[in-house]
Parts: sequence; C-alpha cells; structure tokens
Amino acid sequence: MKYRITHITRYHYSQSVGLCQNEARLQPRNFWRQQCDYSRFDIQPTPSDTNEWLDFFGNHVTYFAIQQPHTQLTVTAISEITLFPRESNLDLLNRIPWEQVRGLLQDTYLQGQSQSQQGQSQSQFQTQDQRLEILDAKQYLLDSPMVSVSSELADYARPSFLPNRPLVEVVNDLMQRIYKDFTYDPTFTTIATPLSDVLRFRRGVCQDFAHLAIGCLRAYNIAARYISGYVETVPEQGQARLVGADASHAWFSVYIPETGWLDFDPTNNTVPLDQHITLAWGRDFSDVTPLKGIAFGGGQHTLSVSVDVLRLE
Amino acid sequence: MPNSTRPKHDIGEQYYATQLGSYDKMYATETKVLPHWERFTAALEAMGSEKLSLRRREAQRLLRENGVTYNVYGDAKNLSRPWQLDPIPLLISSEEWTDIEAGLKQRAELLNLILTDIYGKQTLLTKGLLPAELIFGHEGFLHACVNTLHVQQHQQLMLYSANLVRGSKGRMWVLDDRTQAPSGSGYALENRTVMTRVLPDIFRETPVHRLSGFFKALRKGLADIAPHNKEDPRIVVLTPGPLNETYFEHAYLAAHLGFTLVQGDDLTVRDGYVWLKSLSGLQAVDVILRRVDDSFCDPLALRSISRLGVAGLLDAARRGNVVIANPLGSSILENPALLAFLPRLARHFLNEELKLPSVATWWCGQAREREFVLKNIDNLVIKPINRSQHNYAVFGGLLSSDEKQRLREQILAKPYLFVGQEHVSFSTVPAFINQHIEPRNAVLRSFVVASSDEYVVMSGGLTRVARQKDNFVVSNQAGGISKDTWVLATEPDKSVSLWTQPKRNQRIEPVIEPLTSRAADNLFWVGRHLERVKTSSQLLRTVLKKLAESLEFKDAVDNDCLHILLRSLTQVTGTYPGFIKADEKLLKAPQSELLALVQASDRNGTLSKNIQAFAHAALSIRDFWSQDTWRSVDTIQRRWQQHVINADITVEQLQNPLDDLIAGIVAFSGLISESMTREASWLILDSGRRLECALILIALLRSTLASQHEEALQSQVLEAVLVATDSLTIYQRRYRSYIQLPLVLELLLLDETHPRSLAYQLSRLSTHISALPRDTRYLSEEERLILKAYTDLRLCTVHELTQMPDNETIYVNLEQLLANTTTLLWRLADVIAEAYFSHSQASQLIIVTTPEDDL
Repeated sequence: MKYRITHITRYHYSQSVGLCQNEARLQPRNFWRQQCDYSRFDIQPTPSDTNEWLDFFGNHVTYFAIQQPHTQLTVTAISEITLFPRESNLDLLNRIPWEQVRGLLQDTYLQGQSQSQQGQSQSQFQTQDQRLEILDAKQYLLDSPMVSVSSELADYARPSFLPNRPLVEVVNDLMQRIYKDFTYDPTFTTIATPLSDVLRFRRGVCQDFAHLAIGCLRAYNIAARYISGYVETVPEQGQARLVGADASHAWFSVYIPETGWLDFDPTNNTVPLDQHITLAWGRDFSDVTPLKGIAFGGGQHTLSVSVDVLRLE
Repeated sequence: MPNSTRPKHDIGEQYYATQLGSYDKMYATETKVLPHWERFTAALEAMGSEKLSLRRREAQRLLRENGVTYNVYGDAKNLSRPWQLDPIPLLISSEEWTDIEAGLKQRAELLNLILTDIYGKQTLLTKGLLPAELIFGHEGFLHACVNTLHVQQHQQLMLYSANLVRGSKGRMWVLDDRTQAPSGSGYALENRTVMTRVLPDIFRETPVHRLSGFFKALRKGLADIAPHNKEDPRIVVLTPGPLNETYFEHAYLAAHLGFTLVQGDDLTVRDGYVWLKSLSGLQAVDVILRRVDDSFCDPLALRSISRLGVAGLLDAARRGNVVIANPLGSSILENPALLAFLPRLARHFLNEELKLPSVATWWCGQAREREFVLKNIDNLVIKPINRSQHNYAVFGGLLSSDEKQRLREQILAKPYLFVGQEHVSFSTVPAFINQHIEPRNAVLRSFVVASSDEYVVMSGGLTRVARQKDNFVVSNQAGGISKDTWVLATEPDKSVSLWTQPKRNQRIEPVIEPLTSRAADNLFWVGRHLERVKTSSQLLRTVLKKLAESLEFKDAVDNDCLHILLRSLTQVTGTYPGFIKADEKLLKAPQSELLALVQASDRNGTLSKNIQAFAHAALSIRDFWSQDTWRSVDTIQRRWQQHVINADITVEQLQNPLDDLIAGIVAFSGLISESMTREASWLILDSGRRLECALILIALLRSTLASQHEEALQSQVLEAVLVATDSLTIYQRRYRSYIQLPLVLELLLLDETHPRSLAYQLSRLSTHISALPRDTRYLSEEERLILKAYTDLRLCTVHELTQMPDNETIYVNLEQLLANTTTLLWRLADVIAEAYFSHSQASQLIIVTTPEDDL
C-alpha cells in the first residue's frame, strides 16, 4: 500500500518576525511495517539555515531558521511511503500473560551479578538481542514529561488487568473501554490539559486517549510509547471515515515479548494495519511534537494546518 | 559501593559519633591528628579573641565593600546577603592533600568517561554496568543531548566540584558531586584575597598553596576547547542574571578571567553559530562557560518555558560550532544513585580502585538495596535522586511514623527515584563564633578543571560551616559561614601570573570589548537614575530650606514661593497627585508628603526608589566597575539605608543625609569619568545622564518659570531655581545682584559653557549620538531627533522667549519650546532603546500541529 501525505502549516503574524527557529518531526520513519520512499520540505520564506539528524528515538528531525523579517511562514512536508501490512493476525494471538511481561521488564540485568540477584528466572534464557530489546523498552516504563503514573490511572486500568490474562487481551480490553467510556471532544482539552482532568471528565482527543492508555499500562509496569502520524483520509467504499483524518493523529504502542511493538488506536478502537502512517515515536507527545518553534517578535499569530493523505496504490 | 561487596555491619561502623562538646576536646583531637594546626592556633592565641574579632569585622567590611554577596531566593527585602567569612581557615597538610588531589583527579576522569558514554554509545547500559532506570529515571538525562558532545575532545567534563567531608577518623569522603555548573571558585578566591589582608602576618609565616594556578588552568582549558579562533577565542560567561544566588561570582569570574558576562538574551544563534548581540553588531562566540542549569539553556530543544537560554544553542553545539562548559546534559552525573556504582565503574574504565570513597549509598532501584533501606530507614538519609524545591533529603530517624509510612509507600511505588545514604557524622573544625572558638561541622567544596588533557585541582577550596552547632545542613541558602582553605606547602609556592606571555614577534592587538545590548541598556539607566537622584535631591534640599524660612518668617511671599516649589517637586519627580491640586491643609503641612518623597521605598519617583533603581542597574553590570567605583555605589546605598530608610527621621533632619547623598553621587560621577575609557560604554552612560538632566531641567523650568509671577515672588522663585540647579554662584559671579528671568534663562537654557544648562546637555547628547556605531550613509532617526531639538534651542533668543502676549499669564514661547523639546527627547529615548537595546524584544514559543489544534 502506497500513500502520499501533504502536510501544510501556515503561520500569520500581526507584526514582523525577525528570527524564527524551528524543529520539525514531519518525515515518516522507517521500520518493519513502513518504508519512506520519498520526503521533502517546501518552506516559504526559504530558510537560510537548516540541519538534520536522527533523535534519540530514531525519528527524523529537521531544524530550520528564517533569519530575515517575515509576517507569514508556510511549512509544507510532502512524503510518500509504502506500508507492509501484517500477513496474519498471529501477533494478536500472542498468549504471554501480562504478569510475565512485567517480570521480564522489572529485571535489572547487571554484569557480574549472580542469578539469585537477578530476581526473575527468565534472564538466563535471554539472547543478547532480546536483552537489548528489553533494555530499550525499559525507558517506556518510567514517568515522562506528560505522563505521570498515579493511583487514579491504576484504578481505572484495574478491570482490564485480570490475573493471567494475555497482555494482548489486556490492552485490547483497555482500548475498548477507553473508546466506550470517553467522549471525543476537541473543545474540551488543550495541550496543557493534565491527564487527571481527562480522566475525571472522560473527554479528550486522540492525544489524550493515547496518553491515558500509556499511563494505565505503565501503572502496571508495561512498556508503552506514543506514536504520532496520520490515518487515511478517504474511506473505502462502505466504510466509515476514520476520526483524525485530514489532520495529524496519535495512538500508542505496547511492547510484547516475541512479537515486538504492537500498535493500538483508542480513538478509533482499532489495531492499526494498513491505514495508519507513522511519523515518529517517543515517550509521549513532548518527544515527537511535529512542529515547534521560537519566534522573536510577531505580536499575535494565527495558524492553519491541513493534511492530505492520498492512497497511490 | 554496592553492598554485595560490603559486609552488612558496615553501616554501623561508618556511623560513628563524634559530637565533641567543647573546644578543649576538639583542640586535643585536632592537634593530635594534625600537628600543623599547632603553630596556627598558637598564633591565634597570641592574638586573642578581641583582636581576632576586629579582624573578622575587617574581613566583613572588605567583603561587603567588594560587593561579595550571596542572594537568597524568596527573600525580597534582603535579597543580597553579605558573604560571611570566618577568619580561621581550614588547614590541610601537604601529605593529606596529595591524596585528596589524586582522588579528585581520578574521580573527574571517571565521571568524564561516564558522561561521554551516556551521551554517546551507552555501552554502560548495554553491557549491564549501569541499570537503565538510573539513567532514564533521572531528570538530568536529556534525550535531546545525546550525540551532541564534541567527540574529538578527550575531556567533555570541563569543570567538576566535589563536596568533601571529613569523617571522625580523619578520612575525607565525597558527599556529592557537582557537574553541571559548579559554583564557588570565585568566592574561594575572594576569601583568599580578604584573608591575606586581614591576617597578613600569619599568612606570610605559613607556606600556603596559591589559588592562581587553578584560574590560569581554567582560562587555558577554556581557550583550548574553542572550535574556531584558537588564538584569540571569544569566551562568555552565561549567567541567569542579577537575581541568581551566585550572580556576584559570575560577574567576578568574568572580570577576573577577561570573559564577557552575558545573559541568554544577549546571545542569538544564526547559521548554526552563536553570536553576541553587541552595540556594533553580531560577534561570534566560541566558548560558553555556563552558569545556567542545562535544561534551561535552549527553549527550542529543551525546556520550552525557559527565558534564560538561547534558542538553537544545542544545535550549534551539535554542529561543533560552539563548546559549552559543562556540556548540556551533564547534570546526569549529579544523580546520587551513581555513587553506589562508582567503585565498579572505576574498575571497568580505569582498572583502578576508587581513591576517594563516597558516602555509602544504596539505590532503591535494586531489590536487595531497597529492602536494606526500608529496614534501616531510621538510620539513613533518604534522598530523592531528582533534587527540587519540594523534593529534598530527609533524615529517616526524624520522621513521625505517619511520615515514615508515606515515604515507604513512595519508595515502593517508584523505587528508582530514591537512594538511602549513610548519615555521616563529620569531624568538627574550629570556627570563630560569637567571640569564641567553637567546633562546627564543615564541608569542603573542591574545584577541578580540565586543562591540556589533564585535570587540575585547585589547591584549596571553599569551606563552609554550619551556623549552629551540631547542624549537619551546611549550605549558603541555609545561612552558612565560609572559610578560606589553606593547603600547606612544603616549600613556598611560586606565584603564577594570570597573564599570558606573548610569543616572540607576536603582535598584540588591543581588544575593544564588545558592549552587549543588555549592558548598554543598564549603563543608560545607570546614567538616568544617577541624574534623577542628583537633581531631585538638590531640588528637595531647596524646598526644605524654603520650608524652614517660611515657617520662621511667616512671610506671604515665602509661602507662595514654597507652594510653587512643592508643586514643582511633584512634577519633577512624577509623584502625582502630590502637591498638585493639593488643598490648603496639605500645603500648610507638607512635612509628611515630603518625608515620603524621600523615604518611601515602595512608591515610584521617591529618592529611595531611585537610589534602589540606580544600584540595581549598576549591579546588573557589576563587571564594568572598578573596585573603587563599586565601593562608592555600595556606600551610597548603605548610608541611605542606614540614615534614612531604616532611621526614625523627621523632615528637619533630612539636610545632612541629602548633603551626604549628593557627595556620594558626585564621588561616583567623578570615579567613572576618571576611570572609564571613552568607548561605547561611556557614550551610552553619559547619554543617559544628559537626557535625564535635560528632561528634569525642563520639568523644573516649566513648573516654576513658565507662568508670570509678581516681582517679589519672581525673584524668590528665580533664586530657588538657581539654587536647585547648583547655578547660583556662577549667576552671581556673572550678573552680580540683578536677578531677572531673561538672564536666568540665558544661563540655564542657552549657555553651552554651563554644565547644567539645557544647551550643554543637548550639545553633549548630539556628540555622543553621532559617535555611536551605525550606518554612516544617512542621518539616523536618533541623530535627526537630537539635531532638531538642539537646533530649535539654538535658534531661540531670550527676548523672544520672555515675550508676554496680552491677556496671557504664561510665557507662551518658552512653554512651547520646552514642551516640544520634551516630546523630542522622549521620542529620542525610545529610538535609542529600539536601536541599541533591542534584546528586550520578546520571543514567543509556538507549538503547532498538535492533534487537537487540527481537529
């Protein structure tokens, strides 16, 4: 499946801006399910300085600075990607219980320590690759700038964490409950709304639902991360148009041993297959903000964003 | 040290008690261990406590006059606290120092390797030498900083500090490590400077290692890491500003080392390089010695709410175009949990045992250690790994059972966020407190700098003792006292000059220090406040004299003149409503309002307020002033505080403090005109003075002389105006006893040779402004404005100005001229600010493409 994504951001300033510096995470990353065939920026006015690198999580970052006075800025990111959907749903049949995953993630492997100090017994069977995979997953267990584990989150998640339930089922259940219990309401939250308010008023948008699910999972020592991306704009015939189309979207991913990272979209109550395009991932939104900038001057500003996701084949 | 290699009873062994009750006992203990104290204490005894007390007062006076302060957050009234110095230094023998020095070098080397690994390949994590939670769970680990170090450089950690305590067996332990922006070396140097002045005899007889080697190494080390301009790099000290607790030190180090003191707004990133915004354009910056916490240094890449940093700084570092000491992210090394792993990492990296032991530490992220901490909570200090205002170390034994239960729950919920540490009991050192020598707990902060591929340790350090006996919390925020630290040398130290010897045939270009826009802004305001204080105190003095006369002679004319002066005072100081439209009652008894105009420090326009503003602006550019100049600022402020603000004083007693104030201001003006080079900084400061002087003179003339008065009253008003402008003597010499409006205006408005005249101010302003750096092809806006104001004035004649049209009571032409000039000068002030102090332009953070914005 091939897609072309055109993501346009326009700023208008009431007064001239002398200097603005920006960081964009708008180029889709590569991983087993997705390959970015082509990606370019069109920025007006043309930036006099740019730099690119991969961040700690492996996302593409583009730095650009406009160093002459301007009153509007247009950032257009155009990318073409290929998705390789799973050939079967075997991943969803992974039966490993959540307690066992928790145990694996809680282990602290330290060189020179005897087995008895390692805690759980699985450690000795791990290969080096598995060990590194778990090491990488561990950073998604801890509190992050926008997601702090609390007893309220643990309480909400509790009904999903039945004893010995396979982790895949736990997450599926949690996703369905969030979908059922929470109202999608773009007027309710802003970027600064704390998770506790989302939980209390049972309202929010895709970003809040992703953060909520991540917090619930981390409360039980399950590693979960935040994904920013897009969903397909035009629905297939006979199917409903997904929420979050024509805009950037967000969902979450869970680490499941043997399977790897498995995505879940609580806003649409679905396991992303061939309609979700991944831009970047991190601990939460603050790691993957698609476009952020500092402008000097400018007075009031307005902005408009448009996203077009076109299926090419 | 991880407890797997440490027997369990160790915690008891480390937990020794040495609560020494009396000086005698301590004396015996200390002298037995440290024979070098003997000679020193003998010298002290010979001096006697009275003389020692005098020396301490002398030390305090020197420190205060040198402006050595420590700011305490959350204490608005007494923001800067004078630095406290105990005249008894901490002595360390040469042999012991050799061990400490070797230990500190090894530790710096080790921490440098750990830092390089954490922000590079992270082999410590992948090889299982450090647990992931210890790094990822600490706020000092900044994801954005990974792969931004200068890998070609051997030393990433440029500056390192360790807080050392001596256990009762005499051994030094590391209490904690400071790695992001260690402070204190400047205070240590200042302590030493003062000690050599107050105890010169003892100092001369004791062979003590000098501190200058450390500062030379610091300067060389920072110059060496410059990515460009290696011969003559631009190095800046980045400070959070005058409100920061150790701002004194930032200014002091910048001045001592010849670096430029800057705040975040003084810098900008363009084309991937860091630039200094100066009066004459952008100047490239090669090295930043930062005193801003790392997450605050770049609002784009790091903490977005920060106003202290520079957007794009981290990217400039990533590209290798600027080097920051210490690199952003280095506060990860301040994680106390790391202490438990250092012995193992020393073996891994250096194949050595750790030479300086850390205070025993158990990280709760490990199961066995957590159990140990929970079991021994009563005997341990429990520290959160992330330090913050609400997150601080507690002594388990001092908690109530409820608090202890809560703490246990917190530890169990997020164990990786806590460590337990041994409660160290320090050995005490003698301190001179309340005329007696008493034992106190002491912490020695040591300083290490990377220079020429090795680490150089300051032969000395900053010792701090608790104010109260038995107090273990030793910090400046808690009001501690500092001590000089004398590392005894086996032979006298050669003095090390901070000056670099030029190579043969090397031409040395004088460097005109760039004037930052912020410094220019402050200089301008120093000038303006200075004139404001001077002219309003002279006017006040005149008013007070008239008040005394009118009370004494009860003459109607005196009384009318007084009322005119009172109203003028309100107008000149801008303290409305004041005496404008005042009822008879207030005009009859103006004393309380007059006193308020002098004394009130919470009202705009009062003398106290203007003096504060003057001192604050001067402090913000502390590095500009010579020692003598700063002392004169201090004197003005201190005397005013003592004799007026904090004094129970009446209006009648104001004369003396006002005289004193004017003398202080004159001393300051004299010092700056004697010691400042006539560069941009002088132009800006003097422009501020001239502008303010002109504005105040105009306000005075408009409020006193623009209206017609009867002849008797007119003479009195004219005389008062001449007195208030310090022009009576020159008037009398020139025009003898005829006092009349045209002649007074001639002198005060048009006479360019009179330094108090309007013409003089405008003439100077116009010269200064044309000398400021700018595009020379056209007249700038500020040049046009001053040209117009100056020309309009010069085209006037006294005759025209004093024409009184029929049916009028106001000299319309005079009023018109003065009003127009005021408008032009106000506009001029705005234009100058816009052109030269543009750092004040606000930045705004814009985050877009959040999902909810779109939907």
